[in-house]
Amino acid sequence: MAIGRSVPVRDAEARVRGAVAYLADLRLPGMLTAKIVRSPFPHARIRHLDPRPALRIPGVVAILTAEDFNRPGAPRLFYGVDRKDQPVVARDRVRYVGEPVAAIAAETPEAAEEAAQAIEVEYEELPAVFDPLTAAKPEAPRVHEDCPGNVFLHTRLRHGDLEAGFAAADLIVEETYTTPPACHAALEPHGVIAQWADGRLTVWSATQAPFVVQETLAELFGLPREAVRVIVPPLGGGYGGKGYVRLEPLTAVLAWKVGGRPVRLILERSEEFVTLTRHAAWIRIRTGVRRDGTLTARQVEVYWGAGAYADITPRLLRSAGLVRVVGPYRIPAVHVDAYGVYTNLPPAGPFRGTMSFEGAWAYESHMDTIAHALGMDPLELRRRNLLRPGDRFCTGEVIEEAFFWECLEAAARHVGWDQPYEKGEGMRRRGRGLAVMMKSTLPRSRSECRLVLRADGVLELHTGTVEMGQGAHTALAQIAAAETEIPLERVQVIGPDTAQVPYDATTSASRATSMMGAAIREAAARLKEEMRRRAAPLLEVDPEELILQGAGVTLRGRPEVWIAWEEVLRRHGLEALEAHGVFETQGGLDPETGQGIASPHWHQGAGACEVEVDIETGKVRILRYCAAAYAGRVINPALATLQNEGNMVFGLGQALMEQIFFDQGQPLNANMSDYQIPSLRDLPEVLESVLLESPEGSIHGLGEMTLPPVAPAIANAIFDAVGVRIRDLPITPEKIWRALHGE
Amino acid sequence: MANRERFALHVNGQIHVVEAEPTRRLLDVLRADLGLTSVREGCGIGVCGACTVLMGGRPVSSCLLLVSQVHHQEIVTVEGLGGNGVLHPVQQAFIEHFAFQCAYCTPGFILSTVAMLEKEPDLDEQVLGEYLSGNLCRCGSYLHILKAVRTVARGRQHGFS
Ligand code: FES
Ligand code: FES
Repeated sequence: MAIGRSVPVRDAEARVRGAVAYLADLRLPGMLTAKIVRSPFPHARIRHLDPRPALRIPGVVAILTAEDFNRPGAPRLFYGVDRKDQPVVARDRVRYVGEPVAAIAAETPEAAEEAAQAIEVEYEELPAVFDPLTAAKPEAPRVHEDCPGNVFLHTRLRHGDLEAGFAAADLIVEETYTTPPACHAALEPHGVIAQWADGRLTVWSATQAPFVVQETLAELFGLPREAVRVIVPPLGGGYGGKGYVRLEPLTAVLAWKVGGRPVRLILERSEEFVTLTRHAAWIRIRTGVRRDGTLTARQVEVYWGAGAYADITPRLLRSAGLVRVVGPYRIPAVHVDAYGVYTNLPPAGPFRGTMSFEGAWAYESHMDTIAHALGMDPLELRRRNLLRPGDRFCTGEVIEEAFFWECLEAAARHVGWDQPYEKGEGMRRRGRGLAVMMKSTLPRSRSECRLVLRADGVLELHTGTVEMGQGAHTALAQIAAAETEIPLERVQVIGPDTAQVPYDATTSASRATSMMGAAIREAAARLKEEMRRRAAPLLEVDPEELILQGAGVTLRGRPEVWIAWEEVLRRHGLEALEAHGVFETQGGLDPETGQGIASPHWHQGAGACEVEVDIETGKVRILRYCAAAYAGRVINPALATLQNEGNMVFGLGQALMEQIFFDQGQPLNANMSDYQIPSLRDLPEVLESVLLESPEGSIHGLGEMTLPPVAPAIANAIFDAVGVRIRDLPITPEKIWRALHGE
Repeated sequence: MANRERFALHVNGQIHVVEAEPTRRLLDVLRADLGLTSVREGCGIGVCGACTVLMGGRPVSSCLLLVSQVHHQEIVTVEGLGGNGVLHPVQQAFIEHFAFQCAYCTPGFILSTVAMLEKEPDLDEQVLGEYLSGNLCRCGSYLHILKAVRTVARGRQHGFS
């Protein structure tokens, strides 16, 4: 059986030989180097921009500025997956430090660099605003002229009678939590190659969403979709940072200006910090609870700092930004108000654990504050309120697969929650904490695939799913093999390439294995049906009498009659047989009430830990961490465990280390020495991964669900150890020290 | 181009004469001039280890070295490991123990491990930390990397590799 087995990833040997060709390894004849000229100001009017001095530099081929968009036949200047508010390069005005104002294509990186220095730009600085709460004040400077107050979207969730809920409470607790912008920091930077030929555009991009890129570019240039081809090499990490549309418009328009020769843009590390960030979030959470621990009401107000352009934030706000901040609890009355706010910072977007990370930081820290106020064990408080199968969530939907308690309980058990332990007395104090989270996946999205059975016995799987290290191509091949009974070695994965594979919405929100997997199942069923139909005349029987078995067809009750699939093809003179599969999720929420279907299924994860705090320095050591996820039906246990461990390590960085520091909009730590990510030395002494499987359950993506609990679990353990509550991420020794010393 | 000079590099057992400005980074020479794309740029400032190569058997960051500093030095990249199509035991162990996800960091980790196993007869946690904390893995495959490394180290004690 191909499912449930830890088979190595498809190209494992190429990976250890360093032979996987990432975007930066592609070489095209005549390829030019691109370089972006960026704004040094967070908010300014462009008074004057003169590219001419740069054009005189030998090796400079073309320079793109907003002027070019005025030419007849020029592409559109503005794009955006929701609001079309972002210019390819700035015209008149820049809105964040790092915003592109011009782009250069040159023969060599040196010439491009020199040209970037030579372009003359004069700015007139404007008042700027950086944090979402200040930006949302009516008198705040406007990031976009047409958006006073900078709130471009306000969505609501309304469930139950809030006033009655609070009136029924014995205790009301209100707190405010914040999370700062952070950087995805994939080791592979963003990169794009674009080339025009005969009015058609080909783009190679390290993107998680080839079809969204295709659609955006087609619209930008006024072309039919088929005239734009997007090819995606394996990614050196994505984590959401390569989701949706990033540098493709700029590179494609620059290539359009060049005409014919391929243009390659690869970001420098410092540019990664101004390309896409995690949202800066400000979350106020207020909860009513009865003395016995029953939650009666919850009100959440979230300001999502989107940066200078809306990007994907409006879409997120219509669902994720509401439901991912509530928590997996049964609460009779819930109100959420989510605001999407422009600020003069780089755009924010998807980020491993998108909005669940911020949500869980607030609601899970808050749960411990409540438990403490009630004098109740934090695990017990959660046990009394967690959603169980058949419970209704605040969106009105009934949650069938609900294993929050099981996840939390498993994690707690691994750190010995019910056993007594020494908290310590001297300089080092110990504490324990736990947290659980619930995350929606994408409603209203579609995945398609094609299965092609060739006469040589090979099964091709054509898929738009992007391989970014999560092992998706391996897991999908396993599903295709299991569904068709064709040996795994004979399954070939083709794609992603928009010219070769059918549509897929995106590889994000941990949706690939589950949704693409379902599409494969459907395609396999069709393929088998077609096979039965074709085999019947060869065996001179009715299709109903045939049974499909072991990549062949046999006769009911007569196992000695068996003919291989490729034999059926050969006898019909067919080179290949194709079948198409589609899987679509329905749903969506009413933006005024937040009622409806937020998710086809729910991601569920928990974490528990034991920490040691040095009260002299504020330093935290994680002695033990356990992450438990509800995994449903597991395709490849080794890959699943890798994903789960990846969540923990990524989460540790987010919890304890990571923040892009902006001073008046200027990033201060835009390099990997000042912006540190976890290394081997930062791992807990014991790190355990638990996957709760259910062979009858659905297939779940595992790339995110145990990440959001990491930060609140640690913060809760710190509170347990030294009685200090940190509410602003990341949890640094300095913050702990200050809190301990009453500052 | 101004002031180009000739440099002789011994890479993976072969001598390459390259013409370059003395300030050209070894990383760029290996990737662009010699096509050794297992050597990758991550941070460009000696922090991430994605550009690790062995110089005289020691792991070094090729983003920090200039071509003029490696004239006549013995350089090994992952392309030069194993031989005759056979994988090096460390590469083998990385596959067996699923020691990577996106694998962008993998060549660097493999080379650091190879150097450590050659130089350090006794592997304790401290040595492991010294050799391997200069390589970052954003996908967070560390536990599996450690498993792979420890397995080869044990095998070596028993006389394999
Ligand atoms: S690129 Fe050389 S150490 Fe990161
Ligand atoms: S496997 Fe992706 S960075 Fe290590």
